[in-house]
Amino acid sequence: MSEQPNSTDDAAIPERRIGVYICHCGGNISDYVDVEAVREALKDEPDVIVSESPVFACADGTQHDMIDDIDGQHLDGLVVASCSPKLHQVTFRNMSNRAGLNPFSYTQVNIREQTSWAHTHDRAGATEKAIGLVRAGVAKTRLSVPLVPLVVQTKPRTLVVGGGIAGLRAAIGLADVGLDVLVVEREDQLGGWMGRFGPTFPRDLAGRDEIAALVAEIDSRRDITTYVAAELTGKSGSFGNYSAEITLHRAQGDKVLTLEVGSIIVATGFDTYLPEAGEFGYGIDGVVTLPDFKALVESSTGRLTRNGKQVRSVAYIYCVGNRQEAPGNEYCSKFCCAATIHESIQVSRLDPTVRQFHLHRDVRAYGKAELLYSESRELGSTYLKFPDDEPPAVATLPDGRLGVTVVDLLTGRRELTLPVDLVVLVTGMVPRENTGLTNLLKLPLGTDGFYNEIHPKLRPVETVVDGVLIAGCCQGPKTAGESVASGMAAVAQSAAILKKGYAELDPLVATVTADACTGCMACVSACPYSSITPISWDGHQIASIDASSCKGCGGCVPVCPEDAIDLLGYTDAQMRAAIEALVKEPVG
Amino acid sequence: MSTLIDPGLMGDVLKFGAADVTACYSCGNCTATCPLADNDASFPRGIIRLAQVGLTDDLVSSKELWTCYQCGECTTKCPTQADPAEFMATSRRYAIAHYDKSGLARVFATKPAVGWLLVVVFAAIFAGFFMTVRGPADANALVLFDFIPYPVIHWTGIGVMVLVAVFAVWGVASLARDMARKDQVTWKELTGSAEGRRRASKALWYSLGIESLGQRRYREDCVDSAPIEPLYRRRWLIHALTLWGFLGLMLATGLDYGLDVAGIKATGTPVPLWYPTRALGTVAGLALLYGVTWFIIKRIQRAGVASRTSTPMDWMFLGLLWVTGLTGFLIEVALYVTPAPTWGYWVFLVHVAIALELVLFLPFTKFAHAMYRPVGLFFYSLAKQRTDAG
Repeated sequence: MSEQPNSTDDAAIPERRIGVYICHCGGNISDYVDVEAVREALKDEPDVIVSESPVFACADGTQHDMIDDIDGQHLDGLVVASCSPKLHQVTFRNMSNRAGLNPFSYTQVNIREQTSWAHTHDRAGATEKAIGLVRAGVAKTRLSVPLVPLVVQTKPRTLVVGGGIAGLRAAIGLADVGLDVLVVEREDQLGGWMGRFGPTFPRDLAGRDEIAALVAEIDSRRDITTYVAAELTGKSGSFGNYSAEITLHRAQGDKVLTLEVGSIIVATGFDTYLPEAGEFGYGIDGVVTLPDFKALVESSTGRLTRNGKQVRSVAYIYCVGNRQEAPGNEYCSKFCCAATIHESIQVSRLDPTVRQFHLHRDVRAYGKAELLYSESRELGSTYLKFPDDEPPAVATLPDGRLGVTVVDLLTGRRELTLPVDLVVLVTGMVPRENTGLTNLLKLPLGTDGFYNEIHPKLRPVETVVDGVLIAGCCQGPKTAGESVASGMAAVAQSAAILKKGYAELDPLVATVTADACTGCMACVSACPYSSITPISWDGHQIASIDASSCKGCGGCVPVCPEDAIDLLGYTDAQMRAAIEALVKEPVG
Repeated sequence: MSTLIDPGLMGDVLKFGAADVTACYSCGNCTATCPLADNDASFPRGIIRLAQVGLTDDLVSSKELWTCYQCGECTTKCPTQADPAEFMATSRRYAIAHYDKSGLARVFATKPAVGWLLVVVFAAIFAGFFMTVRGPADANALVLFDFIPYPVIHWTGIGVMVLVAVFAVWGVASLARDMARKDQVTWKELTGSAEGRRRASKALWYSLGIESLGQRRYREDCVDSAPIEPLYRRRWLIHALTLWGFLGLMLATGLDYGLDVAGIKATGTPVPLWYPTRALGTVAGLALLYGVTWFIIKRIQRAGVASRTSTPMDWMFLGLLWVTGLTGFLIEVALYVTPAPTWGYWVFLVHVAIALELVLFLPFTKFAHAMYRPVGLFFYSLAKQRTDAG
């Protein structure tokens, strides 16, 4: 832009009708900011038609008053000076919508977190700052233009990454709602952990039978395509219209497919914790992890045997690799108590004389698994609770058996040594190493290493990356049932995105002024979303921004040497005007 | 100090009964509800736990086993139907078997068929022996000690008692040693000072006098001894009558022997019913028969938690006591009937055989509680005195 509007040049500013509301927030604001003084200072600003100071701007009654003002006074701009936009920007945008005012002609000014709460010692200073901030808001609003959401067509097809129980069940669910499905599995066969398991809790159904049933169902569906020994290796495009690059690892060499999908469900599962050498005796012959033990029980017929030797006694040490002190794995894996108890019942059924000791910190066999806990006790399992700060120790006894030394809180803190044939370390879940995929999809990781959802209760399968959903244990430890449930939630969310056939995107995106762009392409490398591509225009090369993949971060704006890029809703002109207003001498 | 546990303990204990105890998850309701449990003897939870984790020595030497009178309140309040009362009874059987070095008690408790066979075989041996050595059966008057010569009974009895004494002393001494070790009570501590001797005497009086003879806590604290039951069938009373009756009969026999030795009255001399030793024997016998009969009725009726579960060991003990008591009475009836009935001789033979068997089996049957309970109560009193002294 060769000519910038001058904030002092009133002629350049269109006449507007703006309403300004300064909120008391009960006393949160008015205790430290002279709200009336702010209103006084603002009421005579150019284009300010309405100025009010409600006790609570967000209250239903106040919102109704605002709607009446917008309607009655024909307002075309709105400023609410209250709390952080994180709290109520959506509230007032929705209210604007209801009043027939373009929601992007609304500006929220934060005079609580940034003013009253920050300057409780200086009422005069806080008031002066608030006046400046509200003036800036009004100045920005004065230059606002109505914006409409961007509508993009979406592809009715979902890519499921991971062919475990969550991914496979989700695939069927997606097909059920009428979406095409692609399943990509890194290993040579579908099924994941569950596909390797025999009987599992709660009802003894074999994991591999459950997986076989899902795979048979998938095979019968024409709208589900599965790829094994395959990985998602590239992703481009934007929400609703992703282009997924899938690499198939084949004997004759890798083969790359590019497929269009509307959404992606990541269900990449977990890894089991691998104890360190010496951790609870790991490394000593006869000390095994839970998955190893499960395989051992399933392979035993008649009697429980290991390496040809009969196992007559087993000690289970719970919470291995979980519930550790920070910076270890502080979380609980949820499934392991029930899984171990269930496995001990399998052992009792195999050979009722096997003596089983469960060394735990707490038994978290919650919900219906409580019944398994009772059943295992009645079958002869003994539970010993050890103090958190005195974990059991495993060593070899002189007679060759394993000796597990444990302090039992229920035997008056007696230190007991249990001579057993086998020690099972009840290993929990750890996040699966998946750096390539994580970086590719830009998925956020929690401090625990699992993928983060947006909201643990209200948006449990969505991520901050639009159209990319998470399901199953890649998000955190779950039982198989819970994994499937989260997979189905991801199905519902995929349908919510794709079934309309289009998606509405926030219009706060960057745009290029074609005449000003010289085609230097400095902006391309500044864009973290690969949204900027060179196009040919009027005989020369210029930058073009794909509105559907632009997040409106503004990273491209300052790098443009020609000031050819503007961010809608936050244009250079608006920001200059706001700054000018902010630094203007306060009135009174 | 870590204790090496015995993984097989619970499995072994379960052979003695208490099938439901595996449901126990150590909540402690039983101990909280037990009217007899206190800091000096905390049970049943803690005792169940010993079996669960495999602490054999701790289990068998628990004085708590012998401070429990099996009222069953714990079982009533158990949230998992683990039947802690039955576990306590089972553990007592286990402890009796543990301290019986002959192995007979284990057979009686865990192999009932073999146990009953042994009862029959031993009775037959005694009866056969007396049949073999029997003398003439006078048809005019019952001259019992001609039929089975008095010296034969006398010396057989002495022989049986010596044998019993060996096993009884062995068992009681072993239990006392183990309990002393567990509670860190030393011989020196009990006998080395006047204070120690005073405490030991007090414990002895508590154990034998107040509790065994006086049945104080059984009478006052046990829930099922509360006056919900009519007095005549209250457990403490029928137990007391059985005990007092048995002791009365022992006393009468002893006095009769004393009179013989003193030359006042030869054993077997016909005496009137009011003759002091005869009168004592009659009253004591009635008390014993009354008590034992009620115990049998209660077990048949399964009245209350204490009588709900009956093992062969319970029936064996009650059966021998009852047959001994009943045949004793029949003999007394026969003695005062004219003309003397000849069946009196055969009842006498059965009576002597079964009575000797009852005494012979003392350390191996439920009868053994009479030896071990006072030991437990003795150490309980010592512990209590220690606590009270601070």
